[in-house]
Amino acid sequence: MDIKDFIAPFAVWKRAFEKPFTVNKPIDERPGAPRYRGFHINDSARCVGCGTCEAICMNKAIDLVPVDALKPDGGDSGLRPRVDYGRCCWCALCVDICPSGSLGMSNEYLWVDRDPEVFRYTPGVEAKPWDGAELGYRRADGYRLLEEERVDMPELDHHEAVKSFLELVRGYSRQQAEKEADRCVSCGVCVASCPAHMDIPGYIRAVREGDLEQGLRLLYETNPFPEACGRICTHLCEAACSIGSGRSADGTPTDPVAIRWLKRYIADQVELADYGKALPRAEAPTGRKVAIIGAGPGGLAAAYYLALLGHGVTVFEKDEAAGGMLRYGIPEYRLPYPALDKDIAWITSLGVRIRYGVAMGKDLTLVSLYGDYDAVFLSTGLTVAYKLDVPGDKHPRVLDGVAILAAATRGEPLGLGRKVAVVGGGNVAMDAARTALRSGAEVDIVYRRREVDMPADPEEIMEAKAEGAILIPQAIPLEVKPAEGPDAANKATFVWNLAEMVQKEPGKRPVPEPIPGAVVEKTYDSIIAAIGQGPDLSYVAEGDGIEIRRYKPVIGPDGRTSRATVFAGGDLTNDRKDAISAIADGHRAALAMDRLFAGKEA
Amino acid sequence: MNQTDFAGALELALAREEAAVAFYEELLGMASFAAQKATLKEFRLMEEGHVAMVQSMQTKGRVNLSPDAAVDLGLARRLAAEEKPAAGMSYQQILSAAIKKEERSGDLYRDLAAAAVDGEIHLVFERLAAEESRHKHYFEELYENEVSRDN
Repeated sequence: MDIKDFIAPFAVWKRAFEKPFTVNKPIDERPGAPRYRGFHINDSARCVGCGTCEAICMNKAIDLVPVDALKPDGGDSGLRPRVDYGRCCWCALCVDICPSGSLGMSNEYLWVDRDPEVFRYTPGVEAKPWDGAELGYRRADGYRLLEEERVDMPELDHHEAVKSFLELVRGYSRQQAEKEADRCVSCGVCVASCPAHMDIPGYIRAVREGDLEQGLRLLYETNPFPEACGRICTHLCEAACSIGSGRSADGTPTDPVAIRWLKRYIADQVELADYGKALPRAEAPTGRKVAIIGAGPGGLAAAYYLALLGHGVTVFEKDEAAGGMLRYGIPEYRLPYPALDKDIAWITSLGVRIRYGVAMGKDLTLVSLYGDYDAVFLSTGLTVAYKLDVPGDKHPRVLDGVAILAAATRGEPLGLGRKVAVVGGGNVAMDAARTALRSGAEVDIVYRRREVDMPADPEEIMEAKAEGAILIPQAIPLEVKPAEGPDAANKATFVWNLAEMVQKEPGKRPVPEPIPGAVVEKTYDSIIAAIGQGPDLSYVAEGDGIEIRRYKPVIGPDGRTSRATVFAGGDLTNDRKDAISAIADGHRAALAMDRLFAGKEA
Repeated sequence: MNQTDFAGALELALAREEAAVAFYEELLGMASFAAQKATLKEFRLMEEGHVAMVQSMQTKGRVNLSPDAAVDLGLARRLAAEEKPAAGMSYQQILSAAIKKEERSGDLYRDLAAAAVDGEIHLVFERLAAEESRHKHYFEELYENEVSRDN
């Protein structure tokens, strides 16, 4: 051992009084490279909280956390990614996968703090100096971890489609369905937006894995109309889909996963004869009996879930076939009858009895049902077509859109003539217009507001126009007059006033205001009114004990009316007025009735 | 009834509101099922509230109504419903009749305001017209949201 070894520990003490070589911020003069993968940034307004970043992170450095200022809403979970820099390896996979493109990285890499807790934070929510940084890592244009392009659905050409009532949409092949299913990131943001809360990620996974029986099982957990909804659902899920929340390289919105078509694929691929292998059968009879009024989607959904639970169900239907508006309001080219019949056949296979041709109030009263059944579900829909409500609207050439669609279903001659006006902008109007086109008519769709205000599904509007219907927006109906000239007895003249949209009240939608002198007259063979429908509640008497407010039974959250054993749902009570909401109502009411029978009322 | 003085103006307004109650009463007599009756009773109750409001103004000797007229959604001018609804009346027919009734009352008050020589009476009728416009707007919104949803 050397003498220095003894002296060195004492000699080093002199360093304690010298200026240190280390500094607090040694490299602050050296900015990160332009595409450096520094601290995360997140455009919180664009982020939908899907959690794809969390799922892909190999180091579990990202957690989705609730943010006080955000509420879950449709396509936004209300959650945002929190990054833990004790775990992050800066690989940027989270940025590359982010469906909305909200996540990026700044080129800032310097952050000094004595508190280790601060290095776990929520970008875009907790303010940082690098927020809004233009430099740093971004997903390169054209580079995608996720497949952006939706698999095209094979469809009939519109010019061909309009010549018949053949189904327009042909359906996916197995290869197409599996490829489309691959686009889903299983974030589940869609589930909350579906009125029936279907397990969408679950059944899409089943498509991907080729397990269609599992897919069918998941569909039927909350929806016994997969064939119908796989074709005509308003697919709110797709509006919420995180894959549709991004922007393509050309700036257009990315396509959401084709959730509806994947649902249809599952139902189409499993034969009815094989449903029994996948789906549960009814439980042992409980001895309870339920009467359901109306065999539409709401009524039959309630019937299905009640039957599964072992309750005896009788459905009373005024028409000659089941399905309600799915059969009599939606044309065959959108929902072929065999597909609807398949859904109904499985429901009735559980022992659900349907009595056809029974009109409530005429053939049967509610009071008579009270004595014979333990509970009643009212799901009679909206069957009264509202009138144009302008002078002359009783002209024989003014027809009712719902009646036209029902006549088409029944195969009755429509007798619409060559020139047809359809008044209205909802789905009934679009279906009536497209039915008229298929009967060989030239069709004008006359709508009071702007195209953007039309309540019809955008794809229905687009298809009606593609098939040849002419849209006349901002046209206020004024009058129907007898026609003049040859064959006047079989025609009517429709008068409307062109309108400008005026924002009269803040926060409300603009109002169509007539442009003075801009009055248009045109003669048609038929004028189809499709401005809206209301319920026929003439079968509910005051003594029936059901509180009604403004032509709607008053119901609680589980569909119960003011009479404890009577429930109501579907278009009759809900404002969305679509099949999937009616199905959700029926399911909810069935579960509530089951609780009622079990003495477990909330 | 002398509608050129304050008391006469309010008497006229009271008579109109009572007529409105009677209007819904008459319709209720024709109603045959619960939905019609519930709607008509609700509207009659609203008119009874208006009767009480006018009586209160008579008692207090002043008109405490807002001068702000409601936005005109333009339905009353074009709806066809001049005829009185009958036994099988739909929600559309009831609302349509209600809108027309409020429109007629508003028109009358506006005419009386225009004809009034006395400034105070002019003001009374203007405010009554504004009140009727608010009632009409209420029914027009119901019609837009619940009847004419697709147009």
